[in-house]
Amino acid sequence: MSEDPIRISGLTKKFRWTPVLKGLDLAVPRGALFALVGPNGVGKTTTIKILMNILRPTSGGAEILGIDSHRLAGRDFARIGYVSENQELPDWMTVDYLLSYLRPFYPAWDADLAAQLVSQFNLPGNRKLKHLSRGMRMKAALASSLAYRPELVVLDEPFTGLDPLARDEFIEGLLERSENTTIFISSHDLADIETFASHIAYLDDGRIQFSEELVALSDRFREIEITFDAAPPLPADWPAAWLHPESSAALIRFTDSRYEEERTMAEIRARFPDARNVTATPLPLRTIFVTVAKKAKRAVAA
Amino acid sequence: MIPFRLTFQPGVALYEQVVYAARKAVISGQMRPGDPFPSVRTLSKALKINPNTAHKVITHLINEGLLEVRPGTGTVVAQPARSTAAERARLLDGDLERLVVAARKLGLKEDDVVDALRDHWTKLGPAEGATRK
Repeated sequence: MSEDPIRISGLTKKFRWTPVLKGLDLAVPRGALFALVGPNGVGKTTTIKILMNILRPTSGGAEILGIDSHRLAGRDFARIGYVSENQELPDWMTVDYLLSYLRPFYPAWDADLAAQLVSQFNLPGNRKLKHLSRGMRMKAALASSLAYRPELVVLDEPFTGLDPLARDEFIEGLLERSENTTIFISSHDLADIETFASHIAYLDDGRIQFSEELVALSDRFREIEITFDAAPPLPADWPAAWLHPESSAALIRFTDSRYEEERTMAEIRARFPDARNVTATPLPLRTIFVTVAKKAKRAVAA
Repeated sequence: MIPFRLTFQPGVALYEQVVYAARKAVISGQMRPGDPFPSVRTLSKALKINPNTAHKVITHLINEGLLEVRPGTGTVVAQPARSTAAERARLLDGDLERLVVAARKLGLKEDDVVDALRDHWTKLGPAEGATRK
Protein backbone atom coordinates (compact mmCIF):
# COMPACT_ATOMS: atom_id res chain seq x y z
CA MET A 1 0.00 0.00 0.00
CA SER A 2 2.86 2.37 -0.60
CA GLU A 3 1.98 3.43 -4.13
CA ASP A 4 0.73 6.95 -4.79
CA PRO A 5 -3.08 6.98 -4.67
CA ILE A 6 -3.18 9.01 -7.89
CA ARG A 7 -0.67 8.65 -10.70
CA ILE A 8 -1.26 10.35 -14.03
CA SER A 9 1.11 9.98 -16.95
CA GLY A 10 1.08 11.44 -20.42
CA LEU A 11 -2.64 12.09 -20.19
CA THR A 12 -4.24 13.76 -23.20
CA LYS A 13 -7.86 14.50 -23.94
CA LYS A 14 -9.39 15.97 -27.07
CA PHE A 15 -13.00 17.00 -27.46
CA ARG A 16 -13.54 16.57 -31.20
CA TRP A 17 -10.50 18.46 -32.50
CA THR A 18 -9.91 20.63 -29.47
CA PRO A 19 -7.08 19.40 -27.25
CA VAL A 20 -7.81 20.13 -23.58
CA LEU A 21 -5.15 18.03 -21.87
CA LYS A 22 -1.84 17.87 -23.70
CA GLY A 23 0.27 15.42 -21.77
CA LEU A 24 -0.47 15.75 -18.10
CA ASP A 25 1.81 14.12 -15.53
CA LEU A 26 1.05 14.15 -11.84
CA ALA A 27 1.66 12.07 -8.72
CA VAL A 28 -0.37 12.59 -5.57
CA PRO A 29 1.39 11.09 -2.54
CA ARG A 30 -0.50 9.16 0.13
CA GLY A 31 -1.87 11.33 2.94
CA ALA A 32 -1.57 14.57 0.96
CA LEU A 33 -4.17 17.29 0.97
CA PHE A 34 -3.45 18.00 -2.65
CA ALA A 35 -4.83 21.03 -4.50
CA LEU A 36 -5.05 21.20 -8.28
CA VAL A 37 -5.25 24.89 -9.13
CA GLY A 38 -5.70 26.61 -12.48
CA PRO A 39 -7.89 29.13 -14.32
CA ASN A 40 -11.42 28.19 -15.31
CA GLY A 41 -11.66 26.05 -18.42
CA VAL A 42 -8.15 24.55 -18.40
CA GLY A 43 -9.33 20.98 -17.84
CA LYS A 44 -9.44 20.45 -14.07
CA THR A 45 -12.92 18.93 -14.21
CA THR A 46 -11.98 16.92 -17.32
CA THR A 47 -8.98 15.53 -15.44
CA ILE A 48 -11.12 14.58 -12.47
CA LYS A 49 -13.78 12.99 -14.68
CA ILE A 50 -11.09 10.86 -16.29
CA LEU A 51 -9.82 9.88 -12.83
CA MET A 52 -13.36 8.86 -11.85
CA ASN A 53 -13.87 6.86 -15.08
CA ILE A 54 -16.63 9.19 -16.28
CA LEU A 55 -14.58 10.20 -19.33
CA ARG A 56 -12.09 8.20 -21.36
CA PRO A 57 -8.63 9.62 -22.03
CA THR A 58 -7.58 10.18 -25.66
CA SER A 59 -4.12 8.83 -24.80
CA GLY A 60 -2.03 8.23 -21.72
CA GLY A 61 -3.76 7.32 -18.51
CA ALA A 62 -4.16 7.40 -14.78
CA GLU A 63 -3.95 4.94 -11.94
CA ILE A 64 -6.24 5.38 -8.96
CA LEU A 65 -5.33 3.34 -5.88
CA GLY A 66 -3.22 1.22 -8.21
CA ILE A 67 -6.07 0.56 -10.66
CA ASP A 68 -6.23 1.81 -14.25
CA SER A 69 -8.87 4.56 -14.14
CA HIS A 70 -10.90 3.08 -16.99
CA ARG A 71 -11.16 -0.21 -15.09
CA LEU A 72 -12.57 1.40 -11.94
CA ALA A 73 -15.77 -0.42 -10.98
CA GLY A 74 -18.38 -0.45 -8.23
CA ARG A 75 -16.37 -2.02 -5.45
CA ASP A 76 -13.43 0.31 -6.12
CA PHE A 77 -15.70 3.31 -5.59
CA ALA A 78 -16.37 2.06 -2.06
CA ARG A 79 -12.77 3.16 -1.38
CA ILE A 80 -13.14 6.55 -3.07
CA GLY A 81 -15.23 9.56 -2.06
CA TYR A 82 -16.18 11.90 -4.90
CA VAL A 83 -18.01 15.21 -4.70
CA SER A 84 -18.38 17.41 -7.75
CA GLU A 85 -19.21 21.09 -8.03
CA ASN A 86 -22.72 20.45 -9.28
CA GLN A 87 -23.29 17.32 -7.26
CA GLU A 88 -26.56 15.68 -8.23
CA LEU A 89 -28.45 14.44 -5.20
CA PRO A 90 -31.80 12.69 -4.99
CA ASP A 91 -33.74 15.84 -4.10
CA TRP A 92 -36.75 14.10 -2.61
CA MET A 93 -34.70 12.37 0.10
CA THR A 94 -34.04 13.89 3.50
CA VAL A 95 -30.43 14.08 4.72
CA ASP A 96 -30.97 11.17 7.13
CA TYR A 97 -32.73 9.13 4.45
CA LEU A 98 -29.87 9.70 2.00
CA LEU A 99 -27.35 8.42 4.53
CA SER A 100 -29.32 5.30 5.41
CA TYR A 101 -30.03 4.72 1.72
CA LEU A 102 -26.30 4.78 0.90
CA ARG A 103 -25.26 2.63 3.83
CA PRO A 104 -25.77 -0.87 2.28
CA PHE A 105 -23.67 0.08 -0.75
CA TYR A 106 -20.56 0.53 1.37
CA PRO A 107 -19.16 -2.36 3.44
CA ALA A 108 -17.09 0.06 5.54
CA TRP A 109 -19.98 2.47 6.25
CA ASP A 110 -19.65 3.90 9.76
CA ALA A 111 -23.07 4.98 11.05
CA ASP A 112 -21.58 6.69 14.11
CA LEU A 113 -19.28 8.72 11.90
CA ALA A 114 -22.20 9.61 9.63
CA ALA A 115 -24.20 10.88 12.62
CA GLN A 116 -21.18 12.79 13.89
CA LEU A 117 -20.68 14.45 10.49
CA VAL A 118 -24.35 15.48 10.34
CA SER A 119 -24.07 17.22 13.69
CA GLN A 120 -20.60 18.65 13.01
CA PHE A 121 -21.83 20.13 9.71
CA ASN A 122 -25.03 21.42 11.37
CA LEU A 123 -27.15 19.55 8.83
CA PRO A 124 -30.91 19.33 9.42
CA GLY A 125 -31.34 15.55 9.21
CA ASN A 126 -35.07 15.60 8.50
CA ARG A 127 -35.04 18.25 5.77
CA LYS A 128 -35.34 17.28 2.13
CA LEU A 129 -32.24 17.84 0.00
CA LYS A 130 -34.13 20.08 -2.40
CA HIS A 131 -34.76 22.51 0.46
CA LEU A 132 -31.12 22.81 1.41
CA SER A 133 -28.89 25.79 0.59
CA ARG A 134 -25.94 25.23 -1.69
CA GLY A 135 -23.53 25.09 1.25
CA MET A 136 -25.67 22.53 3.04
CA ARG A 137 -25.96 20.38 -0.08
CA MET A 138 -22.19 20.36 -0.44
CA LYS A 139 -21.79 19.44 3.22
CA ALA A 140 -24.41 16.67 2.86
CA ALA A 141 -22.53 15.36 -0.20
CA LEU A 142 -19.25 15.49 1.71
CA ALA A 143 -20.73 13.75 4.78
CA SER A 144 -22.08 10.96 2.58
CA SER A 145 -18.63 10.60 0.95
CA LEU A 146 -16.68 10.51 4.22
CA ALA A 147 -18.93 8.14 6.21
CA TYR A 148 -17.41 5.03 4.64
CA ARG A 149 -13.86 6.15 5.47
CA PRO A 150 -12.59 6.19 1.89
CA GLU A 151 -8.84 6.01 1.25
CA LEU A 152 -9.11 8.76 -1.33
CA VAL A 153 -11.45 11.75 -1.48
CA VAL A 154 -11.77 13.68 -4.76
CA LEU A 155 -13.49 17.06 -4.67
CA ASP A 156 -14.16 19.12 -7.78
CA GLU A 157 -14.44 22.88 -7.00
CA PRO A 158 -16.16 22.26 -3.68
CA PHE A 159 -15.95 25.86 -2.46
CA THR A 160 -17.76 27.65 -5.27
CA GLY A 161 -20.65 29.57 -3.75
CA LEU A 162 -20.12 28.38 -0.18
CA ASP A 163 -20.73 30.94 2.56
CA PRO A 164 -17.77 31.47 4.94
CA LEU A 165 -19.27 29.42 7.76
CA ALA A 166 -20.08 26.42 5.54
CA ARG A 167 -16.60 26.74 4.06
CA ASP A 168 -14.99 26.63 7.52
CA GLU A 169 -17.02 23.59 8.54
CA PHE A 170 -16.19 21.89 5.25
CA ILE A 171 -12.44 22.51 5.68
CA GLU A 172 -12.52 21.40 9.30
CA GLY A 173 -14.20 18.16 8.22
CA LEU A 174 -11.40 17.60 5.71
CA LEU A 175 -8.52 18.50 8.01
CA GLU A 176 -9.79 16.12 10.66
CA ARG A 177 -9.57 13.24 8.21
CA SER A 178 -6.41 14.35 6.44
CA GLU A 179 -4.16 12.10 8.52
CA ASN A 180 -5.63 8.83 7.22
CA THR A 181 -7.03 9.96 3.90
CA THR A 182 -5.59 11.30 0.69
CA ILE A 183 -7.58 14.32 -0.42
CA PHE A 184 -7.50 15.73 -3.96
CA ILE A 185 -9.24 19.09 -4.49
CA SER A 186 -9.57 21.22 -7.60
CA SER A 187 -10.04 24.96 -7.37
CA HIS A 188 -9.77 27.97 -9.65
CA ASP A 189 -8.94 30.19 -6.70
CA LEU A 190 -5.66 29.93 -4.84
CA ALA A 191 -7.13 31.80 -1.85
CA ASP A 192 -9.64 28.96 -1.37
CA ILE A 193 -7.01 26.35 -0.65
CA GLU A 194 -3.76 28.08 0.32
CA THR A 195 -4.35 27.94 4.06
CA PHE A 196 -4.92 24.21 4.37
CA ALA A 197 -3.46 22.35 1.38
CA SER A 198 -0.22 20.39 1.86
CA HIS A 199 0.64 20.16 -1.86
CA ILE A 200 -0.23 22.27 -4.82
CA ALA A 201 -0.11 21.69 -8.57
CA TYR A 202 -0.80 24.32 -11.20
CA LEU A 203 -2.61 23.27 -14.37
CA ASP A 204 -2.57 25.55 -17.37
CA ASP A 205 -2.34 25.10 -21.12
CA GLY A 206 -3.11 21.39 -20.84
CA ARG A 207 -0.14 20.56 -18.64
CA ILE A 208 0.97 20.64 -15.01
CA GLN A 209 3.18 23.74 -14.84
CA PHE A 210 4.53 22.88 -11.42
CA SER A 211 3.72 20.59 -8.54
CA GLU A 212 5.23 21.04 -5.11
CA GLU A 213 4.79 20.74 -1.37
CA LEU A 214 3.40 24.04 -0.11
CA VAL A 215 5.82 24.45 2.80
CA ALA A 216 8.78 23.80 0.51
CA LEU A 217 7.44 26.28 -2.02
CA SER A 218 7.08 29.10 0.49
CA ASP A 219 10.43 28.22 2.09
CA ARG A 220 12.46 28.59 -1.05
CA PHE A 221 11.17 32.02 -2.06
CA ARG A 222 12.37 35.25 -0.45
CA GLU A 223 12.40 38.85 -1.52
CA ILE A 224 15.97 40.00 -0.98
CA GLU A 225 16.83 43.64 -0.41
CA ILE A 226 20.45 44.71 -0.25
CA THR A 227 21.21 48.28 0.81
CA PHE A 228 24.43 50.11 -0.06
CA ASP A 229 25.96 53.53 0.40
CA ALA A 230 26.08 53.47 -3.40
CA ALA A 231 24.69 50.44 -5.21
CA PRO A 232 27.09 48.78 -7.71
CA PRO A 233 25.93 47.59 -11.18
CA LEU A 234 24.50 44.05 -11.24
CA PRO A 235 27.39 41.57 -11.49
CA ALA A 236 27.84 39.49 -14.67
CA ASP A 237 27.61 36.19 -12.78
CA TRP A 238 24.00 36.85 -11.70
CA PRO A 239 22.48 33.51 -10.56
CA ALA A 240 19.57 32.21 -12.66
CA ALA A 241 17.54 31.60 -9.50
CA TRP A 242 17.56 35.32 -8.64
CA LEU A 243 14.51 36.58 -10.46
CA HIS A 244 13.33 40.07 -11.40
CA PRO A 245 16.32 42.16 -10.25
CA GLU A 246 15.69 45.88 -9.74
CA SER A 247 18.12 48.48 -8.55
CA SER A 248 18.18 52.09 -7.47
CA ALA A 249 20.90 54.39 -6.16
CA ALA A 250 21.24 52.63 -2.81
CA LEU A 251 19.27 49.43 -3.18
CA ILE A 252 19.22 46.15 -5.11
CA ARG A 253 16.11 44.02 -4.88
CA PHE A 254 15.29 40.60 -6.37
CA THR A 255 13.29 37.41 -5.74
CA ASP A 256 15.41 34.42 -4.78
CA SER A 257 13.71 31.22 -5.94
CA ARG A 258 16.25 28.86 -4.31
CA TYR A 259 16.59 30.50 -0.92
CA GLU A 260 18.62 28.76 1.78
CA GLU A 261 19.70 31.20 4.43
CA GLU A 262 23.39 30.33 4.70
CA ARG A 263 24.05 29.66 1.04
CA THR A 264 22.11 32.70 -0.16
CA MET A 265 23.84 35.00 2.30
CA ALA A 266 27.26 33.63 1.29
CA GLU A 267 26.45 34.18 -2.38
CA ILE A 268 25.37 37.74 -1.64
CA ARG A 269 28.51 38.50 0.38
CA ALA A 270 30.67 37.10 -2.41
CA ARG A 271 29.05 39.33 -5.01
CA PHE A 272 28.46 42.43 -2.88
CA PRO A 273 31.28 42.89 -0.38
CA ASP A 274 30.13 46.51 0.16
CA ALA A 275 26.57 45.61 1.18
CA ARG A 276 25.47 47.56 4.23
CA ASN A 277 22.43 45.48 5.11
CA VAL A 278 20.62 42.46 3.64
CA THR A 279 17.01 41.54 4.39
CA ALA A 280 15.16 38.40 3.27
CA THR A 281 11.37 38.70 3.45
CA PRO A 282 9.01 35.76 2.98
CA LEU A 283 6.50 36.25 0.17
CA PRO A 284 2.77 35.64 0.14
CA LEU A 285 1.80 32.51 -1.75
CA ARG A 286 -0.05 34.47 -4.42
CA THR A 287 3.12 36.37 -5.34
CA ILE A 288 5.17 33.17 -5.44
CA PHE A 289 2.51 31.55 -7.54
CA VAL A 290 2.43 34.29 -10.14
CA THR A 291 6.24 34.24 -10.32
CA VAL A 292 6.48 30.47 -10.77
CA ALA A 293 3.55 30.25 -13.18
CA LYS A 294 5.03 32.97 -15.39
CA LYS A 295 8.42 31.35 -15.38
CA ALA A 296 6.98 27.91 -16.19
CA LYS A 297 4.96 29.34 -19.06
CA ARG A 298 8.02 31.02 -20.50
CA ALA A 299 9.95 27.75 -20.25
CA VAL A 300 7.19 25.93 -22.14
CA ALA A 301 7.03 28.64 -24.79
CA ALA A 302 10.81 28.61 -25.29
CA MET B 1 -9.74 27.72 21.84
CA ILE B 2 -6.23 28.97 21.26
CA PRO B 3 -4.71 31.75 23.34
CA PHE B 4 -4.28 34.29 20.55
CA ARG B 5 -6.38 35.85 17.88
CA LEU B 6 -5.63 35.89 14.20
CA THR B 7 -7.46 37.13 11.14
CA PHE B 8 -5.55 36.18 8.02
CA GLN B 9 -4.41 39.08 5.88
CA PRO B 10 -4.09 38.41 2.20
CA GLY B 11 -0.67 39.35 0.86
CA VAL B 12 1.43 38.18 3.81
CA ALA B 13 2.94 34.69 4.10
CA LEU B 14 0.50 32.59 6.11
CA TYR B 15 3.10 30.97 8.30
CA GLU B 16 4.66 34.34 9.15
CA GLN B 17 1.27 35.58 10.29
CA VAL B 18 0.79 32.73 12.73
CA VAL B 19 4.36 33.09 14.06
CA TYR B 20 3.78 36.83 14.51
CA ALA B 21 0.45 36.37 16.31
CA ALA B 22 1.97 33.85 18.71
CA ARG B 23 5.02 36.02 19.35
CA LYS B 24 2.79 39.00 20.05
CA ALA B 25 0.66 36.98 22.49
CA VAL B 26 3.77 36.02 24.46
CA ILE B 27 5.35 39.47 24.42
CA SER B 28 2.12 41.17 25.46
CA GLY B 29 1.66 38.71 28.32
CA GLN B 30 -1.44 36.97 26.94
CA MET B 31 0.63 33.82 27.38
CA ARG B 32 3.12 33.57 30.23
CA PRO B 33 6.21 31.41 30.73
CA GLY B 34 5.13 27.86 31.53
CA ASP B 35 1.73 28.21 29.84
CA PRO B 36 0.97 25.31 27.50
CA PHE B 37 1.10 26.16 23.81
CA PRO B 38 -1.49 24.56 21.49
CA SER B 39 -0.47 21.30 19.82
CA VAL B 40 -0.09 20.90 16.05
CA ARG B 41 -3.53 19.35 15.97
CA THR B 42 -5.24 22.07 18.01
CA LEU B 43 -3.56 24.85 16.07
CA SER B 44 -4.45 23.24 12.75
CA LYS B 45 -8.05 22.78 13.77
CA ALA B 46 -8.53 26.21 15.34
CA LEU B 47 -6.97 28.17 12.48
CA LYS B 48 -8.05 25.76 9.68
CA ILE B 49 -4.48 25.46 8.51
CA ASN B 50 -2.62 22.43 7.27
CA PRO B 51 -0.93 20.43 10.07
CA ASN B 52 2.38 20.83 8.16
CA THR B 53 2.11 24.60 8.51
CA ALA B 54 1.15 24.33 12.18
CA HIS B 55 4.13 22.04 12.73
CA LYS B 56 6.45 24.49 11.01
CA VAL B 57 5.17 27.37 13.15
CA ILE B 58 5.81 25.48 16.38
CA THR B 59 9.28 24.32 15.26
CA HIS B 60 10.14 27.91 14.35
CA LEU B 61 9.00 29.24 17.74
CA ILE B 62 11.01 26.54 19.52
CA ASN B 63 14.13 27.43 17.51
CA GLU B 64 13.52 31.07 18.26
CA GLY B 65 13.52 30.22 21.97
CA LEU B 66 9.98 31.42 22.54
CA LEU B 67 8.66 27.91 23.24
CA GLU B 68 10.25 24.87 24.81
CA VAL B 69 9.37 21.21 24.82
CA ARG B 70 8.70 19.72 28.26
CA PRO B 71 8.64 15.93 28.24
CA GLY B 72 5.22 14.75 29.36
CA THR B 73 3.60 18.17 29.18
CA GLY B 74 4.15 19.15 25.57
CA THR B 75 5.16 22.55 24.31
CA VAL B 76 5.10 25.46 26.75
CA VAL B 77 6.04 29.14 26.63
CA ALA B 78 9.72 29.39 27.54
CA GLN B 79 11.37 31.57 30.17
CA PRO B 80 12.86 34.55 28.34
CA ALA B 81 16.54 33.96 27.60
CA ARG B 82 19.11 35.72 29.78
CA SER B 83 20.70 37.82 27.09
CA THR B 84 22.01 41.36 27.30
CA ALA B 85 19.78 44.22 26.24
CA ALA B 86 22.25 45.01 23.46
CA GLU B 87 22.03 41.46 22.10
CA ARG B 88 18.28 41.62 22.11
CA ALA B 89 18.22 45.07 20.53
CA ARG B 90 20.35 43.81 17.64
CA LEU B 91 17.52 41.43 16.69
CA LEU B 92 15.46 44.49 15.82
CA ASP B 93 18.06 46.26 13.70
CA GLY B 94 16.61 45.29 10.34
CA ASP B 95 13.04 46.07 11.40
CA LEU B 96 14.06 49.47 12.75
CA GLU B 97 15.91 50.37 9.59
CA ARG B 98 12.91 49.41 7.49
CA LEU B 99 10.66 51.50 9.74
CA VAL B 100 12.89 54.56 9.39
CA VAL B 101 13.13 54.16 5.62
CA ALA B 102 9.33 53.80 5.33
CA ALA B 103 8.75 56.81 7.60
CA ARG B 104 11.12 59.00 5.59
CA LYS B 105 9.49 57.93 2.34
CA LEU B 106 6.18 59.11 3.81
CA GLY B 107 7.76 62.40 4.88
CA LEU B 108 7.12 61.81 8.61
CA LYS B 109 9.10 63.64 11.32
CA GLU B 110 11.22 61.76 13.85
CA ASP B 111 8.82 62.90 16.60
CA ASP B 112 5.79 61.52 14.75
CA VAL B 113 7.43 58.12 14.57
CA VAL B 114 8.54 58.17 18.22
CA ASP B 115 5.01 59.16 19.29
CA ALA B 116 3.42 56.38 17.23
CA LEU B 117 5.97 53.93 18.63
CA ARG B 118 5.16 55.00 22.19
CA ASP B 119 1.43 54.53 21.50
CA HIS B 120 1.98 50.94 20.40
CA TRP B 121 4.33 50.35 23.33
CA THR B 122 1.64 51.43 25.80
CA LYS B 123 -1.11 49.51 24.04
CA LEU B 124 0.67 46.20 24.66
CA GLY B 125 0.77 46.79 28.45
CA PRO B 126 3.74 46.73 30.83
CA ALA B 127 6.84 45.09 29.36
CA GLU B 128 8.10 41.95 31.10
CA GLY B 129 11.71 42.62 30.22
CA ALA B 130 11.71 46.20 31.55
CA THR B 131 12.29 45.09 35.15
CA ARG B 132 15.59 43.35 34.54
CA LYS B 133 17.41 46.00 32.58
